Amino acid sequence: MNSPTLLSSSAQATTAAEARFRLGYPLAPARGARVVALDSGAEAIVRRVAELPWDTARFFVSEISQSSADFDGGPVEVDLRRLDGSTTPLSTELAGADVTIMIATTDVGAEAAAIIGAACTVRGIMTAGIVVGDADTYLTVSALRPYARVLIVSTDENDLDALLTAVRA
Amino acid sequence: MLRQEINELLTQTGPETSMGDLFRQYWLPALLAEELPANDSAPVRVKLLSERLIAVRDSEGRYGLMDEFCAHRGVSLWFGRNEEGGLRCAYHGWKYDVTGQCIEAPSEAANSTFCANVKLRSYPLVKIGDVLWTYMGNPEKTPPLPEYEWVHVPAEQTFTSKRLQESNWLQALEGGIDSSHVSWLHSGDIDSDPLFKGAKGNEYNLGDLKPFFEVTDSDGGLYIAARRNAEEGKYYWRITPWVMPSFTMVPPRGDHPMHGHFWIPIDDENCWVFTFDYLPVRALTPNERQAMIDGYGVHSENIPGTYRPVQNKDNDYLMDREAQRRGEAYSGIKGIALQDASLQESMGPIVDRSKERLVATDSGIIKARAKLYKAALALREKGTTPPGVDPAHHRVRSAAVVLPKEESFIESLSEEMTVRPGVRQAST
Repeated sequence: MNSPTLLSSSAQATTAAEARFRLGYPLAPARGARVVALDSGAEAIVRRVAELPWDTARFFVSEISQSSADFDGGPVEVDLRRLDGSTTPLSTELAGADVTIMIATTDVGAEAAAIIGAACTVRGIMTAGIVVGDADTYLTVSALRPYARVLIVSTDENDLDALLTAVRA
Repeated sequence: MLRQEINELLTQTGPETSMGDLFRQYWLPALLAEELPANDSAPVRVKLLSERLIAVRDSEGRYGLMDEFCAHRGVSLWFGRNEEGGLRCAYHGWKYDVTGQCIEAPSEAANSTFCANVKLRSYPLVKIGDVLWTYMGNPEKTPPLPEYEWVHVPAEQTFTSKRLQESNWLQALEGGIDSSHVSWLHSGDIDSDPLFKGAKGNEYNLGDLKPFFEVTDSDGGLYIAARRNAEEGKYYWRITPWVMPSFTMVPPRGDHPMHGHFWIPIDDENCWVFTFDYLPVRALTPNERQAMIDGYGVHSENIPGTYRPVQNKDNDYLMDREAQRRGEAYSGIKGIALQDASLQESMGPIVDRSKERLVATDSGIIKARAKLYKAALALREKGTTPPGVDPAHHRVRSAAVVLPKEESFIESLSEEMTVRPGVRQAST
């Protein structure tokens, strides 16, 4: 049996002003976003966006360099290059991340996307891909599709800014 | 998350606002043709983009949409008499034609030219399909008439309804491009609603609750694709087109009609939802049409004589907790349309997007906002005509198709996502 709806518990008792009301308290911390450029065209976009004020977002270029040997069948360790040129292990950067955004303008980063995507899947990190290009993007999209739960195919370089802003990076 | 000033820009559509200017570039659904059913029928009050207007159909069947208030003393012309080629104010008898031109002012001399200088602001009103469309922008820039397929197929193949939604237009639109909620909010209806049930695609929908998404620019707006696992080596794709500013289509199911919405601002805290179903190649069956009239599918059951849903916020949308527990209605609210509307209205009249916690799977919404913002700025700063004005942009279809895993929807379904007269919808 349904409980009766009392006036005081009903939307009917809510004025427009009350409906707008939200409890005021500090917003949740920013998302731990990692942005990885998969090619040189993407690097140019990432460098521009990295200049904007972000909270916890970190920006990298993927180089697929192995920093530790894999001869014993252990996990492949991949390095990322920070925008200042220094390198850092992918696994280190994914610690504390909750979304990784890969950005590509060509399909040359397919291998990197596969490695990063797999590493994120293992860690339960959301993956997003942005393919930027005016021309045929089929190969680039195909390269990223298996590894990005969300894929944005765009002619607008500003989509990276929009996505990072929206997720409070 | 959206900065407060951008949220205000996107949600305010009154005169001389950026988004209001954007909406005034397009032909928009103003009311259903059934609201002016005959020559000299009663005038209808219409509020659009925060402008109070009155719609009329004169003795010769001409339609018009004009300022609601008489130029003389400012009374509402809704009380007027629609007769003999014009709408006559009930107060002192001033009479206006469908263009808002005053054609009689009885207090003035019989041979006076006074009327020539009295004209109410008016907009064109054109019947296409079951809908009366208006264009509220600069008359010198009137675009070609809309070419959406649902209003151009024969009458027996299409049905349109309308309902009031008590929220800002943008949060309503955003529901229309939010594919990920279907497997949750509407899960109780997918296989029971007479306009949804039985489709093979329903199994894929309910069998994969974590779809992948692809968001792709189109000429008129976006394609938002949700990709779910199907049989071995295949994906089930559901493609939602969005045409700017506020036209969306829902991916179809089996042989059921295709459907969608046009979300039209009444003011900043209310919108009209024009909801349509149609089939490109066959007539709606009597049962399908009756189901739509009864409020099934994406339609609503409205209070007789109004366009306000029977389920509304004053009665808590007739919440049924037992149905919620049984899984018949995931939220306890009956019907797909009001399941959406109830939650969107619960956000408040204009949701504060500065407090959102969006995630990457909201990319369709994120990109739609960005495109609206960009188009509004380009219009304001450069006079750029926005996407969606060109009728070629209207010729889109939704699709629901199983493809081999290696195929991309945007290449493989380009024909299926385009209007092809006489060709059935692409639907699984």
